[in-house]
Amino acid sequence: MSLENVTTLGAAEAGLPADIQQPPGRLWLSAFARNRLAVIGLVVIVALLLFSFVGPLFYHTDQIHTRLAMETLSPGKGRPLGTDDVGYDELGRLMVGGQTTLEVAFGAAVVAVVLGVLWGAVAGYVGGIVDGFMMRIVDALLAIPALLLLLFLATVFRPSVPMLIIVVGVTAWLVPARLIRAEALSLRSREYVLAAKTMGVRGPTIIFRHIITNSIGTILVNATFQIADAILVVAALSFLGLGIAPPATNWGAMLSDGLNYTYSGFWWLTYPPGVAIVLTVLAFNVVGDGLRDAFGLDSRHG
Amino acid sequence: MTRFLLRRCAQAIVVLILVSVIVFCLLHMLPGGPARAILGVHATPTNVAAFNKANGLDGSLPAQYWHWLTGVLSGNLGFSYVQNESVSALLGQRLPKTAFLAGISVVLAVLIAVPIGFFQAVRRQRVGDYVLTTITLVLYSTPAFWVAIILIDVLAVRLHVVPAEAPQGSFSALLSDPQALVLPVLTITLVTVAAFSRYIRSSVLDELAQDYVRMARSKGAGSRVILFGHVLRNSAGPVVTLLGLSLPFIVSGTLITEYVFNYPGVGLLAFNAATSQDYPVMLGVVIVVAAATVIGSLLADVTHAVLDPRVRSAAGIR
Amino acid sequence: MTDTTKQANSGGPVLRVSGLDVDIKLPHSVVHAVQGVSLEVSRGETVGVVGESGCGKSTLGLALAGLLPPEAVARGSIQVGDRELVGLRERQLRAIRGTEVGIVFQDPMTSLNPTKRIGAQVGEALRLQRGVGKAAALEAAADMLDRVGLPRPREQLSRFPHELSGGMRQRVVIAAALICEPVVLVADEPTTALDVTTQAQILELFDRLSDELGMATLLVTHDMGVVAGHADRVFVMYAGREAESGETRAIFDEPRHRYTGALLGSVLRMETPRRSRLGTIPGRPPDLTAPAAGCPFAPRCEAAADDCGTALPEASADGGHRWSCLHPIDSEQPKLVAEAQDEFR
Repeated sequence: MSLENVTTLGAAEAGLPADIQQPPGRLWLSAFARNRLAVIGLVVIVALLLFSFVGPLFYHTDQIHTRLAMETLSPGKGRPLGTDDVGYDELGRLMVGGQTTLEVAFGAAVVAVVLGVLWGAVAGYVGGIVDGFMMRIVDALLAIPALLLLLFLATVFRPSVPMLIIVVGVTAWLVPARLIRAEALSLRSREYVLAAKTMGVRGPTIIFRHIITNSIGTILVNATFQIADAILVVAALSFLGLGIAPPATNWGAMLSDGLNYTYSGFWWLTYPPGVAIVLTVLAFNVVGDGLRDAFGLDSRHG
Repeated sequence: MTRFLLRRCAQAIVVLILVSVIVFCLLHMLPGGPARAILGVHATPTNVAAFNKANGLDGSLPAQYWHWLTGVLSGNLGFSYVQNESVSALLGQRLPKTAFLAGISVVLAVLIAVPIGFFQAVRRQRVGDYVLTTITLVLYSTPAFWVAIILIDVLAVRLHVVPAEAPQGSFSALLSDPQALVLPVLTITLVTVAAFSRYIRSSVLDELAQDYVRMARSKGAGSRVILFGHVLRNSAGPVVTLLGLSLPFIVSGTLITEYVFNYPGVGLLAFNAATSQDYPVMLGVVIVVAAATVIGSLLADVTHAVLDPRVRSAAGIR
Repeated sequence: MTDTTKQANSGGPVLRVSGLDVDIKLPHSVVHAVQGVSLEVSRGETVGVVGESGCGKSTLGLALAGLLPPEAVARGSIQVGDRELVGLRERQLRAIRGTEVGIVFQDPMTSLNPTKRIGAQVGEALRLQRGVGKAAALEAAADMLDRVGLPRPREQLSRFPHELSGGMRQRVVIAAALICEPVVLVADEPTTALDVTTQAQILELFDRLSDELGMATLLVTHDMGVVAGHADRVFVMYAGREAESGETRAIFDEPRHRYTGALLGSVLRMETPRRSRLGTIPGRPPDLTAPAAGCPFAPRCEAAADDCGTALPEASADGGHRWSCLHPIDSEQPKLVAEAQDEFR
């Protein structure tokens, strides 16, 4: 085991400009584009988005009315992925399920990131007791197991897509809050922030104009991972029976329903949604890693 | 060091208080008020009033909170009308089993993930790293319940190596049937290893890029000396903190695993309580698990501070 | 470790570099970081290696210390004593690190492992290279710390890096680098991370140690002031090549290469009249992945002529003073400093 492949020369010697922490402007885009794996991930995501949202325009199936006479037919003519246990076409179901999965994931990620960034930026910028108190609240919410909280909330509120988005987002905003608070703490003593303060720029403007814009890298990276996590969380919830009621569905629900038939050999009920989940989560994780590298952030960010 | 300890302990106490407030709020979020939710739809106003009186729910909110909190601190976590037992009794039966399951799994996960993470970092961007990274990445992206069911399918059903269901009954019954523990432990371990090794790999890579590694090399240190004499001890701290931060993740994984394997632990208890709307049990589980997480985090942070002098003097940054 | 015999300035150069090329393989290109560098340093002598960021001086330093990364390919010769460094395998290079060549890096805070005690880190090279036991290494470490001027050395042994000030940390790093008494010391921007007062102290320390231990010292820096006060000779680098080299006095009083002149013109000196503008060198350093034909400084040189872009200047010499410029600064106009100031007035 040798380590020589790990030490590197200073950036200056390699002909690159030295001392770049978060590449400004478009530098991170080109750095990202050079990362083949990350680009592949992005392509996969776009492909899945197209599949789920544009697919049904080309491939028409009935996803509302069940046809029990057609249940669990294996893939064949006119039904590339067979039918599920109530007669829905599986491929069409995959598309519809994808829509819900991706909607909830993106929605929850947006909720989590917006809440978390605002909370963390304010806490980090203001500092002192306010910061301490705000972060203790974060600690307390983090200590409560998300799944239990979700179980609790799901029994109290009836699950629907908006509800799921809010519920998942509300349990997920804690991590970005911590991350952005750390950024805010380090940024608020930078000279340009101090300069802005002395010029009389008010707090909220500083937070938005300086702190949040300069944390964009961390925010983007975390948002990507949030989407990945949200998909898994929704899948777990669906598995535990707390998902959305039919005829709506999502990949997690499809997978867990399909798992009931593992021993009947109906592979087309489990592998398509399962692979779809793994592929999507994998793609978002890889893109997140790529973004993290492109922005030059270390593993502690996002 | 003592200042650091005191500060962290004070923070933990504040967090615990906040947790109790949150749980108390959850209690009162229940539809129709706690009494009605617990007693069920058929409760009459008299029942409700009597219940409220008996449980100190008839005063002002702060008074209720105080009553409830003191009850919790003295071990009274409520009563489950669904199971006809006190919540603390139920928890007392189940908690050791979950702690046992999670404990073994986490220890195994660390023992496996640390060498893997180190290996990946040292062999960065060579075949070994790519293979391991791919495997852990795919594992990390797979829903835990699918992993569990695949394991059941392969190891239990097809190969008949281990039983598919976890042992039931008392704690000693559990221990006497180690084979049945294999699959639950394996599930949690695999899922946790996937998450840990990614982090450890990054952490070790970060350390290896540090100047002190270059300095050590300039004194003639070879790879083994650098890894074991420098990087290992500097990575130990972050790993401990990682453990502390991962407690919620591990809890979730354990809950799903208990559900799949029908393991008689706290997770399954919580799930059954959720489906039967047994709120006292659910909230009891939440308090206990949250408290355990806070204390676990505190221990992890303190250990990290012991291992890494930097943390002790970096005042106030948490 | 007791004193070894020192031959002050006699016995010929102890470090001999000739025709050194270092190429660094990047994913899609090759950076020619060092091109055809030759220099010699004797015992007790201090050579200042100056140039802008990216001129190859750090790579040169790493090459001398045997610390080039695996992506780097070195050709030519580096001789330390009677050992040839170019072409050595990693295992062999490991043997000379710290024992023949020591290196001190820029930032003392990050050069020290924050979780290890000072004593252990200073004595580490002894234990690794000479198999010295723990107690003996700590003894030697205490001695070395005393030599580098650290107050109460024995107390510092059990401390951690973050407990010391910047200047003290740099002394610790120097002690750690010198504990095996290497014949060559490379100091890569050793004072850039320190405040001015501490800078002066550390540089004086280098002077003293160079005399006491009879080391050949290379001060790699971008700061002309450091070089002026503490180097016997100067080696000016530009775009991986030698631009000019010679005794410090000669370089500062009679620079020949246009780049050296421009460098000196951009430095504040006591004689600089008040209210004059500081000289700057327009443009940016060239891309080392695609060295152009001709003189690398030509695009930014105000005296560039047509032949500067086509032919690589051969070195001209005058005694110990060497320069690679087709149209060097005329010796009849020795003070380019004054010229540069006139221009901007």
